[in-house]
Amino acid sequence: MAQLAARLATKPVQKAATGAGEEDSSPAPETVGKPILEVIDAVHVYGDVVALDGVTVSAAAGEFLTILGESGSGKTTLLRLISGLEKPYRIGALRLGGVDVSTVPAYLRNCTTVFQHYALFPHMSVGENVEYGLKVRGVKPAERRTRAREALRLVRLEEKHDRRIHQLSGGERQRVALARALAPRPAILLLDEPIGALDEKLRLDMQVELLEIHKRLGMTFVYITHSQEEALTMSDRIILMRKGRIEQSGPPTDIFDRPVNRFVAAFMGVENLLEATLLTLDGDHATFRLGEATFSGRWSGTGSPEIGSDIVVGLRAERLHVADAAPESPAAANVLPCRFGAAIYKGKYLDRTANTAIGQLKVRIWDANPVTRDDAFIWWKREDCMVMSP
Amino acid sequence: MATADLTRKETALDRLAARLSPADLAVPTFLVVWSAVVILPLLILVVFSFFQVRSYQIVYEPTFATWQSVVETGRWTVALRTLRVALTMTVIELLLAFPFALWLAKGLRSKTIKAIIITFLTIPFFLDVSSRILVWRSILGTNGIINTVLTSTGLVDEPISWLLYSEFAVHFGMLGANFPTMVFPIFIILALIDDDYIHASGDLGASPVQTLLHVIIPMALPGILAGIIFTFVPLMAAFVEPQLLGGGFVDLLGNSVDSALQQIRYPMAAALSTVVVVLLGLCLGAFMLLTRNRLDLATIFSALHR
Repeated sequence: MAQLAARLATKPVQKAATGAGEEDSSPAPETVGKPILEVIDAVHVYGDVVALDGVTVSAAAGEFLTILGESGSGKTTLLRLISGLEKPYRIGALRLGGVDVSTVPAYLRNCTTVFQHYALFPHMSVGENVEYGLKVRGVKPAERRTRAREALRLVRLEEKHDRRIHQLSGGERQRVALARALAPRPAILLLDEPIGALDEKLRLDMQVELLEIHKRLGMTFVYITHSQEEALTMSDRIILMRKGRIEQSGPPTDIFDRPVNRFVAAFMGVENLLEATLLTLDGDHATFRLGEATFSGRWSGTGSPEIGSDIVVGLRAERLHVADAAPESPAAANVLPCRFGAAIYKGKYLDRTANTAIGQLKVRIWDANPVTRDDAFIWWKREDCMVMSP
Repeated sequence: MATADLTRKETALDRLAARLSPADLAVPTFLVVWSAVVILPLLILVVFSFFQVRSYQIVYEPTFATWQSVVETGRWTVALRTLRVALTMTVIELLLAFPFALWLAKGLRSKTIKAIIITFLTIPFFLDVSSRILVWRSILGTNGIINTVLTSTGLVDEPISWLLYSEFAVHFGMLGANFPTMVFPIFIILALIDDDYIHASGDLGASPVQTLLHVIIPMALPGILAGIIFTFVPLMAAFVEPQLLGGGFVDLLGNSVDSALQQIRYPMAAALSTVVVVLLGLCLGAFMLLTRNRLDLATIFSALHR
């Protein structure tokens, strides 16, 4: 217990040295590379509604794992199963640091939660709130005061130690909630849409701050959000959920550039989604028929579909290029004549609708005036054309 | 000049009208009405205790005779007993009501059962106190149901006499009627506490007992205080239970006042009532002093609904 006091302001060195940096806060001896969190085949139902449908998730020590999904996707249920606030209907195993905790009550699990609405105790001061997790664990008053101050220093709120909760702003409450959850040094920190209630400027600041704290402590973060932008900015890995199932999981670039199906692509903001027929598939090199023409793209769907089956083609508006004349380089094999329609001015860029033989496409134009005529050509690189399962 | 005066008059009138808005009138109106209806009779009562009744007529001559007899006849022991019974009952009700209210607010999931139980809790207010208490006589008496069962099954040789006409019987009779007044305020405040606070406490490593002590009870304090006051005050004035179940062995201030009134000893009734009021005032004052620095009620209330 004694060395715990000094541990809150762990240096980045520690993460590099141990590769994990959590071995001292976890009760079980930790072997490097073993996942610190394993949820195996979790099923949960509320009445007739299936909230989780056989979900398996694991997180490596020190990972920033984001569970992304719209409301009702089961992401909060998953978090509540991990923290122990919800008893699963059925679960294969739930291991924290290699120990099965599926029957262990919430208060004996070595993880803490930052709640969406903070849930700071209104009858306690800021300092008492942060000390709470240490107090109930029987940490001596002197030590817990030091550690509470350290946790508050970490979120840059040391001077608010004696304030009442209702005297704090939303952003400050959020940081106190973070300090309170960090103070007991859990093996895993669970964050339930922690910055969703803040305004945009604060949200961006908190994203950076959370990332820095994650880096400094080397703790495992499991972060819940419905915002793809938050997920992309902060995560080591994203799990995208839908209707109680995992649609796709992988590093942000994978989810962003290689969506497996239409839902993932639409969720990650792919503007142009078109239905097409698969012609050939060689590795990830796919050719497909779209309307009258044949194009090529990069396959990122699941399994190996039959030739001639229906697929979905995704094109991001900012990866479409416009030109006055058809480009001739072979790399730009995907060319279409188009006629420009409506334009929406967005400040930094211009969103234009282009009418083509394969339908309307949304194009994002960053240059001031690349096209002078209304009749032009639109082209894209093969690797920017996502070909996926329906 | 004239126009200037006119406008000044108007603004003065406006200011008066603004000052007489309903919101500003509320406090003075309340004070006036409350004084007329409650405080004035109370003062008259105190004054009455210094008069005497001679041949069914009140003699308006100030005298300490009544107060002297209160002390000399040992009626002050009645005051002490009343205080003791009221405090004991308040503690018992609190110990029973808190777990019950907690279960009702947080443990019970079915809304239908919750509604039924809340309706059931109002039953003590349906009937007149005396008729309800009277039933206990036929249950607790030496020929009552309990003793009949006990003797006929041979569990006891002779009827248990302390079941009726005893302090036990008085306490027992008070149990039901004073339970809802303790349960309701506590139930309401517990229902207002967001489950997130309870979850957060457990999540941070607090056992259920620690959550109860550090989170639930402190946040429920306003309701607990309300419950204590609403239960303790009527208990100090209880007269039906000691009269019907005490059988003359358990004199409390309430039934002493009642019997003094029946004997047309108004000054005595007034003096005893004054004792009740003074004791209540002292108890509530001490209570306020004790809790004043411990909690900030306004803060807790404002935090309950975020």
